[in-house]
Amino acid sequence: MVETREIFRNFPFLLQIAFYVIAFSTIAIFIYGFYLRIQKYRKGRADARLDNLFGRFMKAAAIMGKNSTVFKRDAFAGFAHWLIFWGFIILLIGTAIVAIDHDFLRLIGVHILQGTFYLGFSLVLDVFGVFFLVGLLMMMVRRAKKPAQLDYTRNDLKPDQYNRKGYATDDKIFLWLLFLIGLTGFLIEGVRIAADRPAFEVWSPVGWAIADLIDSMGMTSAANTIHLYGWWVHAVMVMFFIAYIPYSKAMHMLIDFANLMFNDDLAAKRLPRVDEERMKVGMGYNTIQDFTWKELMDFDACTKCGRCHSVCPARNAGTALSPRDLILDLRTHADRAIGSPEWFQQTFAKEPTAGKKIAGEVISKDVLWSCTTCMACVETCPVGIEHLTSIVNLRRALVDEGNMETMLQDTLANIGDYGNSFGQSERNRAAWTKELDFKIKDVRKEEAEYLWFVGDYASYDGRIQDISRRVARVLTKAGVDFGLLYEGEKNAGNDVRRVGEEGLYEMLVEDNMAVLEKSRFKKIFTTDPHSYNTIKNEYPEFGGSYEIEHYTGLLLRLIKDGTLKINKKLGYKVTYHDPCYLGRYNGEVDAPRQLMEALGVELQDMPRCKENSFCCGAGGGRIWMDDSKMEERPSENRIKEALTLGDVPYFIVACPKDYAMFSDAVKTSGNEGKIEVKDIIHLVEEAI
Amino acid sequence: MNIIVPIKQVPDLVEGLEIDDSGKDLNREWMKFKLNEFDDHALEEALILKEETGATVTAIALDSDDVDKALFTAAAKGADTIIKVTGVSGTGLSSHEAAKALANVIGGMSYDLVMTGVQAIDDRDGQLAVLLAHYLDKPHVSVVTSVTVAGDQAVISKEYGGGLVAEFEGTFPMVLGIQAARQSPRYVPVAKVRQIMRSASIEEVAAGDVGVSSGSDITKYFTPVSGGGAEMIGGSAEDQAAKIVELLKSKGIK
Repeated sequence: MVETREIFRNFPFLLQIAFYVIAFSTIAIFIYGFYLRIQKYRKGRADARLDNLFGRFMKAAAIMGKNSTVFKRDAFAGFAHWLIFWGFIILLIGTAIVAIDHDFLRLIGVHILQGTFYLGFSLVLDVFGVFFLVGLLMMMVRRAKKPAQLDYTRNDLKPDQYNRKGYATDDKIFLWLLFLIGLTGFLIEGVRIAADRPAFEVWSPVGWAIADLIDSMGMTSAANTIHLYGWWVHAVMVMFFIAYIPYSKAMHMLIDFANLMFNDDLAAKRLPRVDEERMKVGMGYNTIQDFTWKELMDFDACTKCGRCHSVCPARNAGTALSPRDLILDLRTHADRAIGSPEWFQQTFAKEPTAGKKIAGEVISKDVLWSCTTCMACVETCPVGIEHLTSIVNLRRALVDEGNMETMLQDTLANIGDYGNSFGQSERNRAAWTKELDFKIKDVRKEEAEYLWFVGDYASYDGRIQDISRRVARVLTKAGVDFGLLYEGEKNAGNDVRRVGEEGLYEMLVEDNMAVLEKSRFKKIFTTDPHSYNTIKNEYPEFGGSYEIEHYTGLLLRLIKDGTLKINKKLGYKVTYHDPCYLGRYNGEVDAPRQLMEALGVELQDMPRCKENSFCCGAGGGRIWMDDSKMEERPSENRIKEALTLGDVPYFIVACPKDYAMFSDAVKTSGNEGKIEVKDIIHLVEEAI
Repeated sequence: MNIIVPIKQVPDLVEGLEIDDSGKDLNREWMKFKLNEFDDHALEEALILKEETGATVTAIALDSDDVDKALFTAAAKGADTIIKVTGVSGTGLSSHEAAKALANVIGGMSYDLVMTGVQAIDDRDGQLAVLLAHYLDKPHVSVVTSVTVAGDQAVISKEYGGGLVAEFEGTFPMVLGIQAARQSPRYVPVAKVRQIMRSASIEEVAAGDVGVSSGSDITKYFTPVSGGGAEMIGGSAEDQAAKIVELLKSKGIK
């Protein structure tokens, strides 16, 4: 006897026909839904993301294969998802093999699903079927515990102002449907084996065990009947599932692969430019048609996993913004405005009327202005959503109308008039150098190896000028050949761009580049991670390609090559706050740590560190806005986190804004004397 | 309805002021200029009225340093026409002369309201609005904080000292000195200003005869000597409070 199994076992011919009719209808419903989705994205603006398709495909395939973005910082969810994912894929492949063998190869007289291949096939499918069910069970357990990140409660609306029951229904259908499909699959395998007991079916160990169970329950004689009904229950659920995919969260299986594939590696780090034609009518996005197809796809890609909701400093501070809700609101709005096959939507007591502006009406200005552009949402998103790009594009629309608070307005005006956010004279930019007993080179007049791009805070803020002088002294002591742009330097524009003032940003880039072009230096270093990001990632698009590094990298190299000698190992404990624009934006988490190691301090990291660092709350122009209405400032939350480490007396920073924010937070959170904020240069100075 | 908003550039105090060698004027060589803050409010109030009533807004300025930028910014914010009055230097001009030059031009235009800033940091011989009203021979209210238009009439709120506000009714045309707009002046994105600079043009009109006298001359510019006589009150909080109460009583405050 050849090892195989009969497809449509004991099925009258008419039932077989019925199956094909249902199957083709299901596939038609699936294709129609899928088509509606594609039509939706085709309504978006063009976006140049169709380059290197093979490379993009392989990148997405690698992420999907390993489920690496789901595993990141959540091993339980990652493992459960991996089990479900691979269970599903293998079962899908198994079903496809059955279909090919039965519906196509059979017609030319070939039969592959037999013999050894069949036995291996049976074993693999049983094992992955178990993976599938275990993964789903783990997810059920996880959901039963009601983790905060899966709570759909909104920050910005009262419970009677919105209804998200559709989301919860979708979650339940998705999870239970898959689970029941898996379970009934095993059940019909078991009854089929129980009915005939072919010895080789021991290669289907789960089916075999279920057959034993059926025998022990004395139901063997009913096996064939149970099989027929069970098979149909299983088949109908599978058919429903296939039809349901494009209309529900199950769509993430397809969309999210595409979203990861078309994701931009520099998303948020390099914001999109506004072309000249657009600039004439306004920089920002006003209607849903202004979004690109990738952005429309972003909104649909969201699985509501809540990771961005958990990590967002604005959300944690109790502001109106939750990156998850922002994306879901944009999805809802896109669905209403251009149509979508989504079955499970949120509804509002007061639905936004058609023709409403997006920035300021559909998405409130409080939501948009709350963002610190720390990029935690983009970094943590397992499916490649680029929240920040949409936020900035909408902020641009608010800037177009001047819809912002006075303090921010005044700051932008100051930057426009004086090139700095402090509204001080350009001529005072290098006033901090006057107290030094040496003169720093002016690279506009004489050549130097390094140009130090100082940035506004380190130039103008009284507290941070002292840190700048320390940096200058250390570098001079080490004999580093460096210079400044003096009053030629202007705000680099990183945060101006993230506020949404693209015209001002372009002006700053032009002005800075004009001075840089005329100056003589080999490399740039900066003490400011914000300037670092924009000069490194965004200036090249304007034709300014410079080699730039952060001062922690420079200091480390000076120590390694012996230029800077350590005379004293410091020995005490410190913790270190990774600046968003250094660690998360640019992946530079090692240099500061190696530097501290060289100085002999004992670094104890906070729970949220490196690329998962928690923003101080100053970025994206937030430092120029009112933060008095927050429940808890992100900087204070962060200081509390540092204090949980126990006896760590120093909180080390490597960013001027961080120094200002955390020095304040230590005071305002009432923790003076418990922890002291120091710049990394304080440590270097002490050790050399 | 036509609203005319005379605006001007004033020295930007961020750079600090220097007196020139003559001792009778500022050293203007390195001086930076910015829009008179009150004029910005006058423009804002005019733009709000434009939104409410569909009025046309004309921003007008005497030719002076950096004045084009101020006019283009006004256009970017929503002014329909921008006019530069030539043949006279707005920099260092007396208020009488400035008012006369503006009146020469505005007098030949059709207007309902002239709204300008209540004062400027470099006003020398009086505030512009009242002088302008004089030369135009039109009614005038100053220290205005809100303007409500109904037909050919306007209800105007004027702020007095001691927290009093008075409401005036007036018939067009009239001249107003604006203390503050109902909302803080709007922000105009840099891209919009740059765009306007390319597309809009400044209309130039000659000032005509400005033969008026301010009736006074500058004899000297100087930095005031800071007054002495400050008394530091020491002792405990109670002692300090007691001394302050005593002092206040001695000055007649009860």
